[in-house]
Amino acid sequence: MPFEHYKDALIEAAATGAEPRGELRTHLEVCDSCLAVFTEEQALFASIDAGLQATVNAQIPPSLLPRVRSRLDEAGAPGRSWVTNGFVLASAAVVIVALFAGRALLQTNVGHGPVETTVKTSVPPQVTPPPQKQNSVGVPPVEKNHIPPRQFAIAKNRPAPGTLVSGRTEPEVLVPLDQEILLAEYAAQWNLRKRGPLVAQDSDTTIMALLQVAPIQIDELGVKLLAEEKEQ
Amino acid sequence: MQELVLIQPGGMARGESVGDVVEADGRREFEERLAECGSLAYRVARGVLRNTADAEDVAQEALLRAYRNFDRLRDRNRFRGWLVRIAFRLAIDRMRSRKRREERDTVWSQPEHRPPAATAEDLAASSEFQVHLDNALAELPEKLRLVLLLAAMEGHTIEEIAALVGISTGTVKSRIFYARKQLAEKLRCHSNTIKTR
Repeated sequence: MPFEHYKDALIEAAATGAEPRGELRTHLEVCDSCLAVFTEEQALFASIDAGLQATVNAQIPPSLLPRVRSRLDEAGAPGRSWVTNGFVLASAAVVIVALFAGRALLQTNVGHGPVETTVKTSVPPQVTPPPQKQNSVGVPPVEKNHIPPRQFAIAKNRPAPGTLVSGRTEPEVLVPLDQEILLAEYAAQWNLRKRGPLVAQDSDTTIMALLQVAPIQIDELGVKLLAEEKEQ
Repeated sequence: MQELVLIQPGGMARGESVGDVVEADGRREFEERLAECGSLAYRVARGVLRNTADAEDVAQEALLRAYRNFDRLRDRNRFRGWLVRIAFRLAIDRMRSRKRREERDTVWSQPEHRPPAATAEDLAASSEFQVHLDNALAELPEKLRLVLLLAAMEGHTIEEIAALVGISTGTVKSRIFYARKQLAEKLRCHSNTIKTR
């Protein structure tokens, strides 16, 4: 049958929109039924194209762009998606946790350090002489060579405001000026594996003597009877 | 020895920070592209959904998504294709969820088949053939459908479609051909039925 023979060729020619050529064109000139089918196919594809164009080329609602702009205002900066914000928040959380961990570690080391404990317990503030007196007594300061490095270091002066603290790794303890000598001596004792109370025993006796309190002098009590007072 | 100088970003004009300037530039650039490509996103969504209200929602969502990820787009010349893919994908998702919702509603209430809510514009544009065309279009594979919709849009050449989708011109031509052929096979009987009335 001529129609079945040319069917696929007719459909493809109509689908591509090209004019039939060669044998197909010759056949269409002599076969009215195939020409009618070809015309129907062309009409069908034209309808499809028109329907598609009507669908996709519809008028844009005038409210679209204003609504998008208002939502862009609400959205904020471009690129700040939840992933970016999450990354920033996670970084901030890590920094905060690291800060607290470092602070807790520092406090733990200072809290368990022997120097601070000894200063609080074995060297009461009443025993300590004033700094001028201490200098006049002439207690020899402990030389730095006696203190092994990386074990103890005593900061004599506070750093000036705004200056950076040095990057030394050994613990540093801030003590009042009048306790400096005792603490340095204790540090030397500690480094020689002696115990804390020895510091108080080995300290200068003249300093201790100055702070000894004389016994209280109490006069004898005179007891008088009430009757004698009334007579007087 | 070279002296190091600490530069603080707070000294910009009118108290603007670097972030503010970058943000303003990004917003300005996106605004330009929004005016140019806003209709494209809407038309892609409209071609898939065949519904004005849904297409507007999807286009809006696509543009907003593109704005949020605008800094990730390295080649800004590819913005149109990028936006087309976002809008097409969102429209497909919307259509699938709409179908699921319709099926669920059908199971519960057993109503007669009802098309999605249409506006007056939709009703005016629709016809019986158009309804069949929409249904046939919805059944096309996604690759064929996207290319066919872009080809139907005004002002899109084969080369532009190839650039938008990221395929060769030969692939564009073959996809258009097969898409139209599949549509014709599905619509042929309806075309004859309508014609004989």
